[in-house]
Amino acid sequence: MKQSYFDSMKNREKVLKAVNFILLCFGSLLFLSPLWWMISTSLKTMKEVMSFPPTFFPKEWNWDNYIKTWEAAPFDLYTINTVTITILVVVGQVLVNSFVAYGFAKIPFKGREVLFAIVLSTMMIPGFVTLIPQYVLFANLGWLNTYYPLVVPAFFGSAFNIFLLRQFYMTVPNEMIEAARMEGASHFYIWRKIGIPLTKPALATVAIFSFNGAWNDFLGPLLYVNDENLYTLQLGLQVFKGEMSTQWNYLMAGSLIVLLPVILLFFFFQKYFIKGINLQSGGK
Amino acid sequence: MAKLILKNINKQYDKAVNTNAVTDFNLQVKDGEFIVLVGPSGCGKSTMLRMIAGLEEITSGEFYLDGKLMNDVPPSNRNISMVFQNYALYPHMTVYDNMAFGLKIRKTNKKEIDRRVREAAEILGLQDLLNRKPKALSGGQKQRVALGRAIVREAELFLMDEPLSNLDAKLRFQMRAEIAKLHQRLGTTSIYVTHDQTEAMTMASRIVIMKDGVIQQVGTPKEVYDFPENVFVGGFIGSPSMNFFNGEIVDGRFISEGFDMKVPDEKLAMLKAMGYVNKKVVMGIRPEHIELQNGEVGACYELLRAKIIVSELTGSDMLLYSSIGPQEFIAQVGSRTIVSPGEEVLLGFEMDRAHFFDFESGKRIKAYDSKQLADAPEKAYAAEPVLRYV
Amino acid sequence: MKRKKFNYKRQEGLVGYVFILPWIIGFLLFTAGPLLFSLVASFTNYNITSQMDFVGFRNYEKLLFDDQLFWTSLWNTLYYVAFSVPLTTIGAIFLSVLLNQDVPGLRFFRTIYYLPAVLSGVGVYLLWMQLLDPSTGLVNLVLGWFGIDGPNWLFDPEWTKPSLILMKLWGVGGGMLLYMASLQGVSKSLYEAAQIDGASKWQQFRYITLPMITPVIFFDVVTSLIGGFQIFQEAYVMSNGTGGPVNSLLFYNYYMWNKAFKVFDMGYAMAMSWILFIIVFILTMINLKLAPRWVHYEGEAKR
Repeated sequence: MKQSYFDSMKNREKVLKAVNFILLCFGSLLFLSPLWWMISTSLKTMKEVMSFPPTFFPKEWNWDNYIKTWEAAPFDLYTINTVTITILVVVGQVLVNSFVAYGFAKIPFKGREVLFAIVLSTMMIPGFVTLIPQYVLFANLGWLNTYYPLVVPAFFGSAFNIFLLRQFYMTVPNEMIEAARMEGASHFYIWRKIGIPLTKPALATVAIFSFNGAWNDFLGPLLYVNDENLYTLQLGLQVFKGEMSTQWNYLMAGSLIVLLPVILLFFFFQKYFIKGINLQSGGK
Repeated sequence: MAKLILKNINKQYDKAVNTNAVTDFNLQVKDGEFIVLVGPSGCGKSTMLRMIAGLEEITSGEFYLDGKLMNDVPPSNRNISMVFQNYALYPHMTVYDNMAFGLKIRKTNKKEIDRRVREAAEILGLQDLLNRKPKALSGGQKQRVALGRAIVREAELFLMDEPLSNLDAKLRFQMRAEIAKLHQRLGTTSIYVTHDQTEAMTMASRIVIMKDGVIQQVGTPKEVYDFPENVFVGGFIGSPSMNFFNGEIVDGRFISEGFDMKVPDEKLAMLKAMGYVNKKVVMGIRPEHIELQNGEVGACYELLRAKIIVSELTGSDMLLYSSIGPQEFIAQVGSRTIVSPGEEVLLGFEMDRAHFFDFESGKRIKAYDSKQLADAPEKAYAAEPVLRYV
Repeated sequence: MKRKKFNYKRQEGLVGYVFILPWIIGFLLFTAGPLLFSLVASFTNYNITSQMDFVGFRNYEKLLFDDQLFWTSLWNTLYYVAFSVPLTTIGAIFLSVLLNQDVPGLRFFRTIYYLPAVLSGVGVYLLWMQLLDPSTGLVNLVLGWFGIDGPNWLFDPEWTKPSLILMKLWGVGGGMLLYMASLQGVSKSLYEAAQIDGASKWQQFRYITLPMITPVIFFDVVTSLIGGFQIFQEAYVMSNGTGGPVNSLLFYNYYMWNKAFKVFDMGYAMAMSWILFIIVFILTMINLKLAPRWVHYEGEAKR
């Protein structure tokens, strides 16, 4: 009466777990390798980049590739421009959407459900349908070649963020708002003193998503900005690509410079990234 | 003059659907009273409370507080404080800030806020918890903070919406006594909503029993217990519930399916006067008015032979689930009794404690001119309890 | 006595409108107004500067019957959507299930898989252009280890779209998180009950996990379908603004972009945008219609 190793449920579980773990390890190598490749390439000499077969580790670490890259194009100007836009967009998105979402979640008024349904349905509209007429609008306002088209809409609410924050406000019991109302607080006061503090985690999520969106926005600047002095990092990198053609070491260094703030943000505030995703799925 | 007058209050949520959440609610409350609104869930009691608070609009009718019409006054200007079922404490504020919040909004000066908060904390035994956040409090402590938040305001009227229903049984018992004590100490007029008739009976100076948005009876706990206005009140107030038997009054006896018994003279006279001879009635009798008879027979007891289905020991008492023929009922007897299921016993019904109700309407049959009531409902409610004993 | 007119509840309602006012203005200015203008202009020969004459259905007719590039761009887009949506969905579910087996180092793995999903923009496109470079890139290097002679990726019209799909798959971590959250919502007792009923791991996945996460699958499919149809930036950057070899990266939006902002044939471009809108709308409606057949909502939808 010999028992095979697999007959024991415990052993079978163990093997499954091991296979699972190995798969995950293999997968993470797969997922990390592009990033490693970017770092590695950015440190190589052009000769090494072109050598065959390609090397996985740079023979020598040419950190001055980064200095050369930084100096090859006005990255400092691009950075200042991008930071300016990003800050404005984040401030607008956080404040305005929090305000609007409070209204949709906590103040009863006529037509609220219908209006909110409209908010949701605007998320279904393909961006290009409104992009072209918006361009016409901004052109007529004389806003071409300014940051207005990139920044101003952020102060008029975005459907996705309103939805996200409303989801969060719905978890705040109505009774809490009612209690404050009975104590004599106005809705504006409640929004400031109770709404904002209670939705901080969600606001952080919106801030991070907005940061990401503004930082990585390529389409907007491409469409609205012509003046090189107004170029953002994304546009700058695109131009840089044209100038460098296939000098991959500098291109990778440039890419890493542009991606670095997002990567850092991700490592420091990962939980808010994840929270945003969870809020999305909460709305089925 | 009454502190609070509610006159013909109606609440309708959806005009298309012709059903009211509250219908023709009339009540006058005197200064310092502790009113309990009680009824099964969905009876409109919370809606009524929220209308008083101003959280819901009054569809029609008038609400006066201290003689001023309040219908259109926003909740913040009503000078009413309220305790919510789930406490509604602000989780990001300390206990101190939670209690001070309302005063800060009203721009009370700092010293005064501090004095009042500390005073309330002392009354409620919260002195050591003032710097904690709600998360770090037990259920009972949260409840106390919610009470504290309401009392620091020194409001005219104190509303409580099922404040104890989130607590476990033991704590509920304890907080019940504490709220009663608090009311005695502060004397603030209070309106308290609950679905628990025990809470109503133990705390109220007057109980308002509601069903389907309509007041069933208003009275002191003793009144509603001893003289339920209708079958619903009889069944709702008191635990275990009143037993009901359908039957007919024939030849001075109450004839029901499977048994009949003599109706005491006084009651019979009343029933005759009201024209219920040879008519169907509902007889109600509370379980504690049915006793096990071991030979000796009290004067006003009607004896019946009944079969025990189940016996249930509650501690101090024993509940006998019994049957006579097809009819089942409960008797509440001393815990020392020893009976076993299936056993036949002799039960004595204390018939001068029995209640008779109209079969059709379920209304209590009493020697009282009901027309008088219809003409001046306010007078009837506000009046000292008339002893309607028959 | 007419006191209905201005009671405090109505005032509160007004306050509500004040709160959502920014959105209302934004909606009228940046969505509703532009939509209306676009709809009207799609029936004209609008070119932003000089002309806006009504031309009837000519734009639409020309698009559908007389524009080979329109069909090319639509085909390219459908190709991309048809592969990227199912692949990313399956990939995301697969990863989330692997991560849901209480493995050691869960947070570490989650971080690694999710990180690429938050990266976007020109930096990422440049990285992938390098990774997919036929001679110096990592992808063909690795394929070479297995004796596979990698294709020319972005230079081969057959392989340009798979290149973009590959890049898209790198960002599968966002969907993975979505599914992880929903998997954690599945009650443990369901699995225990299934084990007692004798279900294997696979059967547990098939009959419990999968049905329980269908609402999220639905959400994911609908949103990534809408997103997939709008692919533009990566194609623009990675084809160096050319639309790729033999127009193989000329996606719908890309073609529309060229029409609108290169030759300023705006009426034509807006007609194109409305056709896209209709396609996306119909697909979403089909999804909604089909949903009751396979999406399992626990209990009745309670908000």
